[in-house]
Amino acid sequence: MRYMMMMHAPRADGGYQINDWSPEDFKAHIAFMHRYNKELVDAGEFVGAEGLAAPGEARRVRAAADGTPVTDGVFPESKEFLAGYWIIEVDRPERAYELAAKVSAAPGPRGAPLNMPIELRQVMSGPPPQDA
Amino acid sequence: MRYLLMMHVPPGDGTYEHLHWEPADWAAHRAYHERFNRELADAGELVGIQALTAPNEGKVVRAGAGGVPITDGIFPEAKEYLAGFWIVDVDSPERAYALAARASAAPGPGGAPLDMPIEVRQVMAGPPDA
Repeated sequence: MRYMMMMHAPRADGGYQINDWSPEDFKAHIAFMHRYNKELVDAGEFVGAEGLAAPGEARRVRAAADGTPVTDGVFPESKEFLAGYWIIEVDRPERAYELAAKVSAAPGPRGAPLNMPIELRQVMSGPPPQDA
Repeated sequence: MRYLLMMHVPPGDGTYEHLHWEPADWAAHRAYHERFNRELADAGELVGIQALTAPNEGKVVRAGAGGVPITDGIFPEAKEYLAGFWIVDVDSPERAYALAARASAAPGPGGAPLDMPIEVRQVMAGPPDA
């Protein structure tokens, strides 16, 4: 079964809070992520992962009545923001929870675990049936 | 440049609202998406696509003491939640917005466009250097 693990990161003004960390703390965090990804790949559990550009560049788009895009750039109310995600292939939900907890504990300032919320959603195995 | 187009839908009771639609409306909605996806693929703009199961099956996980997973249900307070996403490879942000508007206008009950909010996020070119 496949899961999407969404990493919600605390945001500062328009950017990721991580941009305000000391270079050492930033390096330790990135090294953790590289190790984590390598472990997923080695275990055959890695399907894909992407990192997203900073919240200040995000847009919300809706179709206007004539189908043209209406864009809106502000997410003033959100304290947390999707910073990236993984898609993993695991045998059971509990394994997905373990992997999510592991990345939740990625190190932050002075090496303390961030304990970030990781949203876990199962990926559909195929298009839903016509009569669903 | 690559963009993530995230389709957000209203939470309802934690299941997908289309389960309550007329079968013909749901068929039209799916046909719209299938056409859209084929056009993206034909134009060489489609990188990936995933659909997610309903939010009442989702969890938020945090590491507790000792790294033990603490799981929680997700969605009672959310106004909208992620139902699925596309990754597209386009030449400009405007093209990403135009594609997002197409996805936004997928038909709902009675064939009326849903005009769902589509969150558009640029995908980083690679992992940051350690």
